Amino acid sequence: MRRKFLFCCLLIPVALYGQTGPVSGSVMNPNISLIGDFRGMYTSELARKFEFMFNEAEVSFQSSIDPYARADVFFSWGRDSAGEYSSSVEEAYVTTLSLPMDIRLKAGRYRMTTGRLNTVHPHTLPFSDLPAANRGFFGEEGLIDEGVSLSWLIPNPLDFYQEIVVEASDVPAESPFFMRPASGRYLYLAHLKNFIELDENTTVELGLTGLSGPNEDLRTSTIGGIDFTLKWKPLRFNRYRSLTWQSEVFLGHYGEADGGSVRSLGCYSFLTYQLAVQWFMTGRFDYTNLPRSADVVERGYSATLGWYATEFQKIGLSGKLVTGNAVADRSEIALRWIFVIGAHGAHAY
Amino acid sequence: MHTDSPAAHSQANHRDIIMTSKFVKFLYCLLVMVAPLRSAAAGDKLIVVSSIPTLKSIVELVGRDKVESFAIATGYQNPHFVDPKPSFIMKLSKADGFVTSGLDLEIGWASSLIQSSRNAKIQPGGDGYVDASRGVPLLQVPSSIDRAQGDIHIYGNPHYWLDPLRGKQIAQNIFETLAKLSPENRDYFAANLAAFDKEIDTRTAAWEKALEPLKGQPVIAYHNEWPYLEERFKFVVVDFLEPKPGIPPTPSQLVKVISEVKSKNIQIIISSPYFTTEAAELVSRQTGARLVVLASSVEAFDGVNTYYDMFDYNVRVLLEALNSPPTN
Repeated sequence: MRRKFLFCCLLIPVALYGQTGPVSGSVMNPNISLIGDFRGMYTSELARKFEFMFNEAEVSFQSSIDPYARADVFFSWGRDSAGEYSSSVEEAYVTTLSLPMDIRLKAGRYRMTTGRLNTVHPHTLPFSDLPAANRGFFGEEGLIDEGVSLSWLIPNPLDFYQEIVVEASDVPAESPFFMRPASGRYLYLAHLKNFIELDENTTVELGLTGLSGPNEDLRTSTIGGIDFTLKWKPLRFNRYRSLTWQSEVFLGHYGEADGGSVRSLGCYSFLTYQLAVQWFMTGRFDYTNLPRSADVVERGYSATLGWYATEFQKIGLSGKLVTGNAVADRSEIALRWIFVIGAHGAHAY
Repeated sequence: MHTDSPAAHSQANHRDIIMTSKFVKFLYCLLVMVAPLRSAAAGDKLIVVSSIPTLKSIVELVGRDKVESFAIATGYQNPHFVDPKPSFIMKLSKADGFVTSGLDLEIGWASSLIQSSRNAKIQPGGDGYVDASRGVPLLQVPSSIDRAQGDIHIYGNPHYWLDPLRGKQIAQNIFETLAKLSPENRDYFAANLAAFDKEIDTRTAAWEKALEPLKGQPVIAYHNEWPYLEERFKFVVVDFLEPKPGIPPTPSQLVKVISEVKSKNIQIIISSPYFTTEAAELVSRQTGARLVVLASSVEAFDGVNTYYDMFDYNVRVLLEALNSPPTN
């Protein structure tokens, strides 16, 4: 099955080449890249404390389809906790390029716009694991679902960037807060993004998110979220110094089968400071409850030192202490080596 | 606590449906409320966004008072590493035209901004999309490429605007798009283009004459971004402080460069405003070679406001360096 999958992936550029007529096939091929994520891990609570793993290989195909839309497809080969590898379509979506009224439509399987962190691929993060709140509220891989997303640039008298995103999706087959029912209910999301430049070096982003959808008890779960990001990067020497402070808070409301409900809280805050052109230091605090138990508390404290060799390779060393009232305290050390070969992707801000 | 009676379940489901319905209504109301705020298109000028201030300056020289021009990068910013801030999307969403230097110089940021702009006119292939490199004779086009060579550009060195005569082709490309976007002003743009070409020819002759003393002189550069300036004014870049393009200077590279500077009696080290000067100053202290931070773009320094100013500035500081005593 996996061989067939790989074979199909390799055929995609060939198939597109065949459609191009006299134009060079390589020109019309989509941008293709492969991202590798290799790790060495120490976990104090496990019997096998040291472990090496090739955590994930992600292959992306990205290109305009025609003047009206583009396609982005990401396949992932990931390793599960048993050490087995399996392939999956991480994301595959079509995005319009030129709808009127500053509207953009996205359809397919994609990372849902639940604030800041969920929308980015984990290998781009300055730390090696997702915050406990994101895992606790959205799942180990974040909230990824099939659906449609409509975004609109809101005109405003001050002319700052304001975007509203509304999404309707099929409901993830399984996530801590939501579960796809046998019939007729969907997951709805709205996100309001406000972006302001304080000066040429400093920006602030403030976002509000609301999600509502069915859960395992066939009731409704709702999540409200606030995200805040402050970035500072001097334009003149923008490769040498920068600072990012990012925080998100999630408030969950889980409707239970008996008509009762559980309110839960999750949050994280991290600060990344660029020490030199290739060196970055990140500190992060996590806090989360479980969706169905506000009494369960998990806290995490982590620090990561990153060496970013080029745009195509980085190595990070993380140390993390996890405390909580439901599990024993544990410490983790992770060495993560990320590399990219293939097309140079565009960066997100 | 759990009461699974059918009545309780039905009541709970009813509340859920009402909640979801309210959520959807709230979104609808929000969209309706903000819809009237949508601003009208700005004036009768063409709005042209450029990736870098050099291109913005040429847009202004060709479009004059028929264009409103804006640049995404600043002149003192490394054009390869620009953060695609969402605020630029607002500018691009209203733009009639977008001018890019092309050749993948802005590969890390321009494409994501253009795609997010929701503006068909400025997408590649659109009426307002200008690849300023079109028709420009390029240097250092690699015959083979591998990332082990560092930050190599597959289409050739992208800093072509640093040759004033190649600037005429950039202006021609911009003219063609402005004339397409605003055909009623074609003659006006054509007259401005002719004036630009004439001014460039006159000034280039003067710049070449002024830099006669630099002809054939060996020079060290921080980064490989000067081949077009080098070709026009006939100096020779013999080595770089970066061991490979995009890789920060290493001690072994600096030792090698210091040796070269001494053995070849090199007088000048050139750099750009967005690179720190520690490595260049170290070489300068060890050898006496003068460090010159050139304007690699319009608006790199105060007073460098136009394409002409950029060459005036560079010619002046190079001459000052040639005429000043060694630094050690």
